[in-house]
Amino acid sequence: MNKKKNQWKAWIYLLPALIVLAIFTVWPIINTLRMAFSNGYTYAKELKYGAFSFSFGFENFVSVTSYQGFTTCLGNTLLLTVLTVPISTMLALLVAVALNSIKFVRKTMQTIFFLPYVTNSIAIGMVFMAMFTMIPGVKATDPYRSIGIINSIIEAFGGTRISWVNSDSSKAANLAVLVIYIVWNALPFKILVLLGGLQSVNKQYYEAAKIDGTSRFRTFWRITVPLLSPMIAYVIITGFIGGFKEYSSIVGIFGNENSGDSMGPTGSPERWNTMVGYIYQQITAQHHGDASAAALILFAIIFAVTMVNMYVSKKKVHY
Amino acid sequence: MTDNINEKEVTPEVIEDAAEQDAKSKVMKEKDIDKVSKKQLIMKIAVQTGLYLFLGIMAIIVLFPFYWMLISSVKTLNEYNSTVPTLWPKQFRWSSYAVAFTGELNLGRLFLNTCIVGIVSTILSLIVTVLSAYAFARFEFKGKNVLFAALLATMMIPGELFTITNYVTVSSFGWLKTYTVLIVPFLVSVFYIYLLRQNFMQIPNELYLAAKVDGTSDLKYLWKVMIPLAAPTLISITILKMMGSWNSYIWPRLVANDMAHKLITVGLRGESFKDMSGMVDYPAQMAAVVIVTIPLFLVFLFFRKYIMRGVSRSGIKG
Amino acid sequence: MKKKLGAIIMAGVMACTMTAGLALTAGCGKTTVQPDFVMPEGGFDTSKGVTIKFYHTMNQDLRKVLQSYITKFNVLYPNIEVKEEAVGGYDDVRDQINTEIIAGDQPNIAYCYPDHVALFNESDAVQSLNGFLPDGEYKNMTVKRVKTDAKGDAVKDENGNLVYEDVSLGLTQEEKDMFIDGYYDEGFKFGDESQMYTLPFSKSTEVMFYNKTFFEQNNLKVPETWDEMETVCARILEIDAARGKEETVPLGYDSEANWFITMCEQYGSGYTSSSGNHFLFDNSTNRGFVERFKDWRNKGYFTTQTLNKGYTSSLFTTQQCYMCIGSSAGAKNQSPDRVQGEYPFEVGIASIPQLKQTTNPAGANYDANYKAKVISQGPSVCIFRQKDPQQVLASWLFVKYLTTNIDFQARFSSTSGYVPVLKMEQMQKNKTYADFMADANGYDNLNYLSALRCMEQEDAYYTSPAFMGSSKARDQVGALMQAVFAGSKTIDEAFKYAIRECEYAAKG
Repeated sequence: MNKKKNQWKAWIYLLPALIVLAIFTVWPIINTLRMAFSNGYTYAKELKYGAFSFSFGFENFVSVTSYQGFTTCLGNTLLLTVLTVPISTMLALLVAVALNSIKFVRKTMQTIFFLPYVTNSIAIGMVFMAMFTMIPGVKATDPYRSIGIINSIIEAFGGTRISWVNSDSSKAANLAVLVIYIVWNALPFKILVLLGGLQSVNKQYYEAAKIDGTSRFRTFWRITVPLLSPMIAYVIITGFIGGFKEYSSIVGIFGNENSGDSMGPTGSPERWNTMVGYIYQQITAQHHGDASAAALILFAIIFAVTMVNMYVSKKKVHY
Repeated sequence: MTDNINEKEVTPEVIEDAAEQDAKSKVMKEKDIDKVSKKQLIMKIAVQTGLYLFLGIMAIIVLFPFYWMLISSVKTLNEYNSTVPTLWPKQFRWSSYAVAFTGELNLGRLFLNTCIVGIVSTILSLIVTVLSAYAFARFEFKGKNVLFAALLATMMIPGELFTITNYVTVSSFGWLKTYTVLIVPFLVSVFYIYLLRQNFMQIPNELYLAAKVDGTSDLKYLWKVMIPLAAPTLISITILKMMGSWNSYIWPRLVANDMAHKLITVGLRGESFKDMSGMVDYPAQMAAVVIVTIPLFLVFLFFRKYIMRGVSRSGIKG
Repeated sequence: MKKKLGAIIMAGVMACTMTAGLALTAGCGKTTVQPDFVMPEGGFDTSKGVTIKFYHTMNQDLRKVLQSYITKFNVLYPNIEVKEEAVGGYDDVRDQINTEIIAGDQPNIAYCYPDHVALFNESDAVQSLNGFLPDGEYKNMTVKRVKTDAKGDAVKDENGNLVYEDVSLGLTQEEKDMFIDGYYDEGFKFGDESQMYTLPFSKSTEVMFYNKTFFEQNNLKVPETWDEMETVCARILEIDAARGKEETVPLGYDSEANWFITMCEQYGSGYTSSSGNHFLFDNSTNRGFVERFKDWRNKGYFTTQTLNKGYTSSLFTTQQCYMCIGSSAGAKNQSPDRVQGEYPFEVGIASIPQLKQTTNPAGANYDANYKAKVISQGPSVCIFRQKDPQQVLASWLFVKYLTTNIDFQARFSSTSGYVPVLKMEQMQKNKTYADFMADANGYDNLNYLSALRCMEQEDAYYTSPAFMGSSKARDQVGALMQAVFAGSKTIDEAFKYAIRECEYAAKG
């Protein structure tokens, strides 16, 4: 009886969200499906010849997967996600726990970690370029005019400079910069969520641990992590989803200078192109069918990974 | 745990009580520290030093863009454009701020628009999110899991592809160049619903059942118990949503690029800072960014207090 | 088990929604394709108000010029309201319109490059201007325009009513003849070249800025050909080495893409074609000049904006480079800062080097029949199709007004550094402009000097064919040069990669 009553109540609570989602999320998804399976679809052609002028089929998928850069895009996307999500989650957890366990200047520290929220995204991209880019000499034979702040620090500690993002840079060096940048970008959000979670964790668990003389490390793994597990799961799952959609960070690092979407160091454009980067390029080039097909492929991957994540978190998360 | 709640209603007084008890136990803790051995004290100092060192380094890394924004705003255009960037301005040029204020950017209007859109969409979004998360966390209904999984699945499709379809939709609604078009399409975030649901689910079910026994209505329970307990998460959502309005660019530029509805980032990225040869006056742009950042920063300082208050709020005896 | 069921249900839901979606789209019966323009009876209706929207990329100063001429235009046609909107850069205008076309919400007039028109015309969105040309369908039609006096104010009769006069709706032969022929003809460079889609709005090209003081002091000859350029670069390096000046480079070339395309034009070796196999740029001549420039790069003869990681003009103004090839519209950036009120050097502006020279029969590379080639840049305007033919007519009247108005062209040119699209003898009618031109020098009035050089070589302007994928070709040849100069690809790899990318972009 009670359960039945709750049934319609639940739907009423959900109604506002469902209406908006139906119009602005579900319908675009349906449209995406339609475009992906319409051979050679473009909006222009639909306007000219109508929605039924396309034959149903997999041509767009064939076109996407036969593109020479497709495996690069896919590989880059996977690589960046697999590297950045665990690193940023771990770091954010450490910062959140550290913030929660200091007393002196605690408020100031917390304020500092909130500051990135009010830093406009325009400013962030410019900073990284300046930090890692080496400014070559005016001639090919001249020495560098600037080796960048990071390399200056490395040399001050007796290391050798590395070409991070310049034309002669290695993939590994590029990757290091991208990982740092993406982690940096992801940190504030994760810290905020985890700190929010930590604040709601009951202090008495810790008191109990203290009385038992449990070590800090043990407390961290045995109390903090399990209690925070819903938040951690959230951060990881959304991190993966966001990671697969990586695009703007690559533009941020390598700029958009001369040739459209370069997505790589000078001379090696597209080296770090990602799935979303590819989708964007196809939309600009008016290949809407290809863009939709690529989006569906990406969706399939994200879906599979999220299912695995959810399965794992079901087993590990403590409510 | 449940017994405790049954005895007293959760009221501010109870929370104050809890806070007091927290304070008492802190005093107890301090006394304990006196008893610990010297070795442990050294250990503690080492750990604390490590913590501060770690936080200090992270803080510097995190703050760098903020610092960059500030110094860029006072550099001269030539210094800014010089190929070798400087860490400290050779010469301070405050006139960038005058340019940002008096230029034809119309900062006041941009700011007003952003505030209207930011505040309205945050409030509406919170309401919708709370209701949905509550339904998912507390009700059993047919197809709940499937629906929830389907919602999560929508997060996984790259949103870029939605833009064109949504554009056609809003233009057929006649919403172009209105506040509505900036608020409604992104009102529901599955991210937030998920986040809040996770938080709601942490709240023991017994609390709910107890409230039911007391005859508390669902809405009252949501308002009196769930929302206060989930306050930190709600504030996190508020911050994220506000920042969303702050940094949104592609959609607003497309659907409401007129002065009456233009948002701040659209204005800041636009052509207002270009000189006649097409070179951008970045220092002036950065100055404008700083100006619009200050009020936001103050709002965040205010919120931080609430997050801290959330600590004592959630101090229910367990 | 439960998971599996969920997945199956979800798949089912997706399949259902997909079919539903197909039905829905069909049901809506989109009618956003704009109909062919049909001249309304009676032509342009001056009695009813009509609003038109103009997208451009102008900055504040240029907008002020535009706005003041909108006011003047409104005296002539009080019922037309022009809404001008600055929409970011050229690519922003392109993307915005691309999306708006889908909902049938495109503006009436827009700044455009030929590549963009090709893109818009995928949905047949651009209005052909053929009917409005001197020999077009509407050549005998007139439109009622408010009569104005010498000061530009409306003339009124004794009752205080506006006095109208009949003027030609289309472009008259005299008006057409005001345009520089080459610019005018660019409007036809689409597909089979039978339709005119754009009118030129203002122009720029690449010019070579050089340090005149330095060249005179060292008795250097300003290079007219690429061979001479090679000699001068080698000589400058010797001079600087001899006086111990380090970290200088003889030449800065802003855009690799322009360099590549211009070389193709000068050699006549093939870049792209509007029909058939679009991408012709992978040939031995082109590989040859890329290899030559790679050698120059190794010898330290030049740098580019990408290689320099900053505007080459910043090298030029600090005397770290002595020649700088860039847009004529950017002349102001090439002007050095004054030191104690004095300019450190005088800037000279010359045409960019050519393959052959036509001035000195005794010199090397002389060929009297050689036709010089410089790239044609700067915005054109196109008019979009609309359901309401009155909007199309109003747009046409406004575009015609701006492009053929000597005073507007003069003001726009002197504010921006772009050059007018009208012939010099026409522009001389604007006294202020003529005076400025006479004053052009290498110090304060660099933009006039640059405009002057620009206008002198109007015969040499070339444009590249516009088609789906033409902007990709431009991006790719630029990237090709960068890759070779930076040493990250061999010439063979770079060419093959560029061709593959272009062909993928141009498909379907």
